[in-house]
Amino acid sequence: MRHRDRVAMALAREVPDRCPMQISFTPEFAERLRADLGVRGMLNVARGGEHNPHGGGNTYELERAIDSDLILTSVGWANSYYQGHGTYTDEWGVTWQEHPYETPFGTGHYTEMVGFPLAEDGAIDSYQPPDPHRPELYHDSERVIREYGDEYWIVGVTVTTIWETAWALRGYERLLMDLLIDPDLAERILEIPFRYHLAAAERLVSMGVDMLWTGDDIGAQRGMLINPATWRRFFKPRMAELVSRVKAIKPDLLVAYHTDGDVREVIPDLIEIGIDVLNPVQPACMDPAELKRQYGDRLLFWGSIDEQGTLPFGSPADVADEIRLRLETIGRGGGLILGPTHHVQLDTPLDNFWAMVDTIRNVEYASL
Amino acid sequence: MVDLNALTAAVEAGDRKSAVSLTQEAIDAGISPDVILGAMTTAMTEVGRKFACNEGVYVPEMLISAHAMKEASVLLEPLLAASGMAPEHTAVIGTVKGDLHDIGKNLVGMMLKGANFAVVDLGTNVAPEAFAAATTEHKAHIVGISALLTTTMVGMRDAVAAIRAADPNAKILVGGAPVTDEFAAEIGADGFAKDAATAANVAKELLAASA
Repeated sequence: MRHRDRVAMALAREVPDRCPMQISFTPEFAERLRADLGVRGMLNVARGGEHNPHGGGNTYELERAIDSDLILTSVGWANSYYQGHGTYTDEWGVTWQEHPYETPFGTGHYTEMVGFPLAEDGAIDSYQPPDPHRPELYHDSERVIREYGDEYWIVGVTVTTIWETAWALRGYERLLMDLLIDPDLAERILEIPFRYHLAAAERLVSMGVDMLWTGDDIGAQRGMLINPATWRRFFKPRMAELVSRVKAIKPDLLVAYHTDGDVREVIPDLIEIGIDVLNPVQPACMDPAELKRQYGDRLLFWGSIDEQGTLPFGSPADVADEIRLRLETIGRGGGLILGPTHHVQLDTPLDNFWAMVDTIRNVEYASL
Repeated sequence: MVDLNALTAAVEAGDRKSAVSLTQEAIDAGISPDVILGAMTTAMTEVGRKFACNEGVYVPEMLISAHAMKEASVLLEPLLAASGMAPEHTAVIGTVKGDLHDIGKNLVGMMLKGANFAVVDLGTNVAPEAFAAATTEHKAHIVGISALLTTTMVGMRDAVAAIRAADPNAKILVGGAPVTDEFAAEIGADGFAKDAATAANVAKELLAASA
């Protein structure tokens, strides 16, 4: 079965041979995996060979070697993560700093935002956002669709669509407070990334991606980060516009929405505006089986393998058990793409990683 | 007659201007600064309760209340200092080594101040020895350690050990997205808080239990 047919079947709530799978990696985990697999080719042709879970230039050597069914290609601010070493400023004017952390498997690095171009109230008046219509932004996506589109399910990625990019521009606490005490300024800031990612989304959909992945982290570990009423005022209308614009280009397009955390309060809203797929379904925050019971006829799911507990701290048997549980609950009858709830982190033992991949690959739906 | 209930309401609503002007009015009317402060801590307790009980208070609402109290408190601080009214308890807080995330830690600091703790914020990426040194230096009753990441959360174990070695009596409180009750117990922390509002309550409970 072609990878893309497996995904199409699952998303049509049919039961393919096995559950489709999508896994991404932090750069250092990718290096470990590459050594383990003996992959010799470059992981990325744009960054001195270093894998980047967001940005362009990836060769998808690892994704193809582990039998992933989806290939992701991203245009937008999220590509600023892992973009450089030391301190760097991205084209939005956000300053980043590379920051090390230790794990039993070596030192990893996250890139963290440390400078925010709209931190001062008046800065927005002279701010020039980057141009989403530059042709070179889409060369990598064109290549991905051309090279892998026959075999894989191609996902156009414009995550950090509104909120996360806006907070990088303004600063996290400032923007959270702006929503309540200076809503006009908040609206102006939110428009900047929204218009950019809307243009990128329309372009990617016109180019022929199979699915669009959009969204923002609006959930915290135990409930919404912001009041659902605030989300409905500032974010829901913009997401609704984006969904209707891209579906006007391709009516059968599926649109996935990413948000970490517990967002049960707004799931009916997401369904209402035409979101088809919810990602990443953090099981430490929301019960996947319950979501399937409540929304399985209207919503598809992508993710659900615990990156906070099971993958880094569980045993290989725990990982395999969790995947079987997902297949029997949130994945019952299709409607699920399995994957970890974030890029696999350096703290994940390879045995756990392979337990995840092998269980997904080897458990046939027919055997359940 | 100055209405301290109005001050409580202003802080609860995150209305900075009113909170500041009502505080000034109360000072001018000769109300004792600790009584005025009490009107604000009452507000923050209610904000925390509503946050914990999911009664319409989310992170932005909590932030604007805390900022209203912070601005109004500036007027009180010299008066409190002059009359020798210091907070009874001191808390040292910080985000664990390797982790730069601070919104959760900042909220904990705001809620502890809202509960009239003296708060020493060590910032982010705090090494175990820095937690230990600050605990001793500030004679901390409570030490709060935050982590957002699974990769940095495990470093809390070293921080707890270093703080214990420096001061066996300080109560250690941990929290952050991946942290659980079980993990807190396993690394020898005294308490776990699932969110910032709960952190202030757990801190008070730990001190009450040890009194």
